[in-house]
Amino acid sequence: MRPIETRYARSGDVRIAYQVVGQGSFDLVFVPGFISNLDLHWEDEGYSRLLKRLSEFSRLILFDKRGTGLSDRVDAHHLPSLETRMDDVRAVMDATGSGRAALLGASEGAPMAMLFAATYPERTRALVLYGGYAHFHKWVMPPERLDAFIEMAETAWGTGATLPHFAPGRVDDSRFATWWGRFERLSASPTAAAALARMNAGIDVRGVLAAISAPTLLIHRRNDARVDPDASRFLAKKIPNARLVVIPGRDHPIWTGDVDRVADLIEEFLTGERAVAEAERVLAALLATRIYDTARLGDRMWSERSQRFQETWRLLVGRHGGRSAGTHGELMMSRFDAPARAIRCAAALRDAAQKIGVATAQGAHVGEIELRGPPAGLTGRVTMQLAAHAGSGDILASRLVADLATGSGLHFTDAGRIALDELDEPLALVHATSEQHLEPACRPKARMTEPAALTARESEVVSLIADGKSNAAIAAELRLSEHTVKRHVANILLKLDLPSRAAAAAFSARHAGPDGP
Amino acid sequence: MVTKTQAVDGAAIKKAIEGRDGKLLSSFYADDALVRVIDRNNPPSKPREIRGRAAISTFWDDICSRAMTHKVDTTIADGDNLAFTQACDYPDGTKVFCAAMLELKDGQIARQTVVQAWDE
Repeated sequence: MRPIETRYARSGDVRIAYQVVGQGSFDLVFVPGFISNLDLHWEDEGYSRLLKRLSEFSRLILFDKRGTGLSDRVDAHHLPSLETRMDDVRAVMDATGSGRAALLGASEGAPMAMLFAATYPERTRALVLYGGYAHFHKWVMPPERLDAFIEMAETAWGTGATLPHFAPGRVDDSRFATWWGRFERLSASPTAAAALARMNAGIDVRGVLAAISAPTLLIHRRNDARVDPDASRFLAKKIPNARLVVIPGRDHPIWTGDVDRVADLIEEFLTGERAVAEAERVLAALLATRIYDTARLGDRMWSERSQRFQETWRLLVGRHGGRSAGTHGELMMSRFDAPARAIRCAAALRDAAQKIGVATAQGAHVGEIELRGPPAGLTGRVTMQLAAHAGSGDILASRLVADLATGSGLHFTDAGRIALDELDEPLALVHATSEQHLEPACRPKARMTEPAALTARESEVVSLIADGKSNAAIAAELRLSEHTVKRHVANILLKLDLPSRAAAAAFSARHAGPDGP
Repeated sequence: MVTKTQAVDGAAIKKAIEGRDGKLLSSFYADDALVRVIDRNNPPSKPREIRGRAAISTFWDDICSRAMTHKVDTTIADGDNLAFTQACDYPDGTKVFCAAMLELKDGQIARQTVVQAWDE
């Protein structure tokens, strides 16, 4: 496949950068929001996913508005009107030979698309408005908050500081946050960004809504962080031939969150047929593994241990019949055909990590994933979020995993529910606990006699046993229940393969170094 | 039943396609015609199917709304079967090439299979 070509259309004296992707029987023009950069979009997983989906059923026409991205810069102090920018859409359509196209307007792109549809009904096949609005101050930001936003944008532009205003759900995703900083820098200069924000604040297209005759689909996320969903409810009432679909989620950019859901709705609306991507999807159990608490290791030690653990991870995943599905930042993703295998692998990884001297936190979930490529869809994201929520040594799984692993001999305990943005209902969770046998079903091949095999708490308990303390005394000292201490002692004896407390005390004396056992 | 304005043959199709006349093209099809499109996005095991004259009209309206040039090259007729190839150019130089097989019934297109490929 040749690289996507960027070309330039002439709109008056200004050159507008555009790209054409796909060969569907009709044209779809994507009118971007606040800022954009044609080249950078393809570097974000969600963005490229959205564009790939849309270009599978249409000839997708993308462009950067004047003053943004790859298009000509304009005098930031005299930015063009919404009408002039709308005319850039027409110029791009002319350059691509598009006589009539469906328009997809996202966020600030929506008022532009509405204006186009009202002005050129004969060239508008249909209208899709995502997270759109007709009046800025009413539905995006009141005038008193605008100045603070513009000041923030001006002083911290290029650092990604605007991300929480658009996609609060992605703030902790360091890769995305870094991308967002580049997105700001490569899409507009600080002066242009502030000027654009000020200009967008003047948007009011309420007067043209009744003149839109094209069939219109409105999509809005229920808890959209940037634009009030009432904005789309208003549009649904005022645009004659419009239908509104509210979907779960709070992140505003169209390329974040459940991109496939958005693409499905658009495809069905524009082609009259439901998306048929299912053929390439399969049911799989996903496991996300991360190293817990990286801060306590020095950089060098962290990098060594992390590398050793990654090698072990590949080995163990393969040994449990799984496939490593790539790393995602510090998350290691693997996929399995059966949930029980994923959990057994997780348990093995937890033990292996202890040997290496790190702790894991893991998440497991079951769902449909794309047969090809990394599991980037909803199932993948949910699994990653579970790993992010898991504590040290935890294997946090969705209840679905436990239900499907019935009969496997694995044990799970209830772990409550978690509300995730992209899911309609909170997700029921379980902790995978160790397999419980009266006797160990089989002894681990490698006897874990290294002190590192013990958790920090267990090490403390061993030290106190070596001091000759009783369970009750240890419980009092560590502020635990006596029952918990008993469990710790039992685990210690099992892990170290020792017959008695006395042997544990002797072990502790043998292994006491500068750092204790 | 729409009154036929023109008999469907290679010359009529060539004229309608090259003249980007969507209305004329649509009039060649039977009410319950089926057009199957096979390309990179629509593999042979799951071709895109456009059923009925209304959907086919929309399809041709979309195609004909594009300022591109179409050239119908080879037309072969054999009883109720018709075949032709078509070379298309977008203003930016991108090329598309199609081969189409048609089955006629009572002088109208009942079934058409299009195989196409494009620059990318």
